[in-house]
Amino acid sequence: MSLQRSRDGRLLVPVALLLVTTLYFFEAWQLGPPMRNGNMTASFFPMAIAIIMYLAIAQVIWRILRSPPERETTDDHAATRRLGPLWVTLATAGYLLAFSTLGYFVSTTVYVFVLTLLYGEGFRGLPLKLIASVIITVAGYLLFEVVFRVRLPTLWSL
Amino acid sequence: MEFFTGILAGFAALAQPDILLYMVGGFLIGTFFGAVPGLTSVLAIALLLPLTYSLDVTAALVACASIFMAGMCSGSITATTINIPGAPASMMTALEGYPMQQRGEGAKALGHAALASMIGGSIGALLLILVAPLAADAALLIRTPGKFALIAFALVVIIISQRKSISKGLIATMLGLMVATVGIDVMQPLARFTFGTGVLVQGIDMMPLIIGAFAVSELLVQARNRSAHTVDLQQVEAPPIRRRDFIPPWSEVREIGLYRYLKSAVIGYLVGTLPGAGGSMAAFVSYAEAMRTSKHPERFGKGTPEGIAAAEGSNNAMCSGAFVPMLTFGIPGDPTTAIVLGVLVINGLQPGPQFMDSQLHLVAPMFAALMVSALVMVPLTLYLLGPYFLKIVSIRRDVLYSSIAMIALVGSYVATYSLFQMALALIFGIVAYFMRRQDYPTVCLLLGFVLGPSLEEYCRRALSISDGNPMIFLTSPDSVFFLGLTAVFFYFMVIRKPKATPLPS
Repeated sequence: MSLQRSRDGRLLVPVALLLVTTLYFFEAWQLGPPMRNGNMTASFFPMAIAIIMYLAIAQVIWRILRSPPERETTDDHAATRRLGPLWVTLATAGYLLAFSTLGYFVSTTVYVFVLTLLYGEGFRGLPLKLIASVIITVAGYLLFEVVFRVRLPTLWSL
Repeated sequence: MEFFTGILAGFAALAQPDILLYMVGGFLIGTFFGAVPGLTSVLAIALLLPLTYSLDVTAALVACASIFMAGMCSGSITATTINIPGAPASMMTALEGYPMQQRGEGAKALGHAALASMIGGSIGALLLILVAPLAADAALLIRTPGKFALIAFALVVIIISQRKSISKGLIATMLGLMVATVGIDVMQPLARFTFGTGVLVQGIDMMPLIIGAFAVSELLVQARNRSAHTVDLQQVEAPPIRRRDFIPPWSEVREIGLYRYLKSAVIGYLVGTLPGAGGSMAAFVSYAEAMRTSKHPERFGKGTPEGIAAAEGSNNAMCSGAFVPMLTFGIPGDPTTAIVLGVLVINGLQPGPQFMDSQLHLVAPMFAALMVSALVMVPLTLYLLGPYFLKIVSIRRDVLYSSIAMIALVGSYVATYSLFQMALALIFGIVAYFMRRQDYPTVCLLLGFVLGPSLEEYCRRALSISDGNPMIFLTSPDSVFFLGLTAVFFYFMVIRKPKATPLPS
């Protein structure tokens, strides 16, 4: 089971790319024939790219299936480490959603504060993290709005 | 003569307070990003890219050049003091620098690294100034089929230089090419791969790809680490460094010899002109060559300044070499020059054979910045900041990465005032994160994306010239030359792989 899981982990990228390539090839197919009157059309290159991609993915998958399984980490903190990127992704997605509605100051302060929790030692030194979040947000404002004169979104467009 | 007057004007431009500020600021940022393990000068330049929308192009190019040069030499700081190379290009330096540090000669090792970086970087910049116009003249001779063959050569070399897995390099490059085909076709007004959405008709911008692949993916990689600081000073033993110890003894400099410095610089410069090679390959080739030809090969791996000089002189000279194909052919060979190309494109400039003539006033300050960074900034920074380097690179990770995240995401918004660009940066970041986890080179993704449209355009143009006859690629001399060169590289790098040089453990 562990061997299967390890292989599945390594197969994630090639299988995902296989699906993307298939979708891409289907779209390229819709563009029409690759050659017309002896000249390449808009679909020629995409089709060629997709075919090369299929061959390369097939080779990578073949190698993974033939290779010995990777040893799994038995570290106690492994789960925490695995989830770290997921939390950062979710925090960033939330930031993108909140950025234009809540404005730069509110959304950035909250986002930076959440990241300080994720990149350090959790909730240790909470007041310092809060102060750092405010300082980073103000520094960002000064950099973008004052130095580079770029308009950042504000809450209720104030 | 006009060219050299233009170059002198570039040096004069550096004296303007705002340009000087960007050079010094860029150098300090590059030093920091190059020295902190996990950060790279590529990341620093990627973060700068969105700001170039509202920045003078000369200032942006000067900042990029000084970040590039600083990032290349500052990796030696942690490589020497704590045996953790700040940048991949400093791995060879760690082999010699750390044993010297253990003998109590860490400051001297850093001094040797700075001296070699200074000489290598200056010679590289000088070669760039002298050779780039000749390369531009040669580029004028290349016709459409030859341009296709040249870009194909660059892409093939980038792929086959991925020694870990050529298949993975090929996949990453093809993915970059796939992303590049989104939007209006290069030859006719036909939208491709827009999936019925209007936002993709204009194609995908280089900026979110760069921010995603180099900044967001790094944030995700670093999220797996829960240490409080970038470098844990309690776990490393590094005696305090005094400024006077930085100056390498003249006897050791003489023993290394001028020839070694010059040879390393030329090797680095030539490696830099190759697509996909980069600073680590330049340092490796030069170090291996130094070990092969040294009078004392037995000293390598035990802390010899000769090894440091070979590696550091070469990787700094590489910086200038990498600009040659980008400026003269419009073909970047590494991520840094790809981002610099992005800076130019954002400002409506397209490098090519006549670019040096028509836009010399823009690139001359960048050449000057490469020279001044190597000649003045490298030794000055070491002298002024050297004793504090370890404290500087040991920064709180929560503050560092949350700051980088803020700059990366807000930067990707302010470039075009588009939340879609921010979302794309996140998506590319997630894709690059999974690719990096499984050793798919993101450099190939970027270069495939950058070179893809030109590859397709020149191929289709060449075939329209010949009424669809592919023999044009075998009858055009410039095309035959580059196809032959591709075959030679393929033969030596894939079929007859170079023997692995036994390096000191």
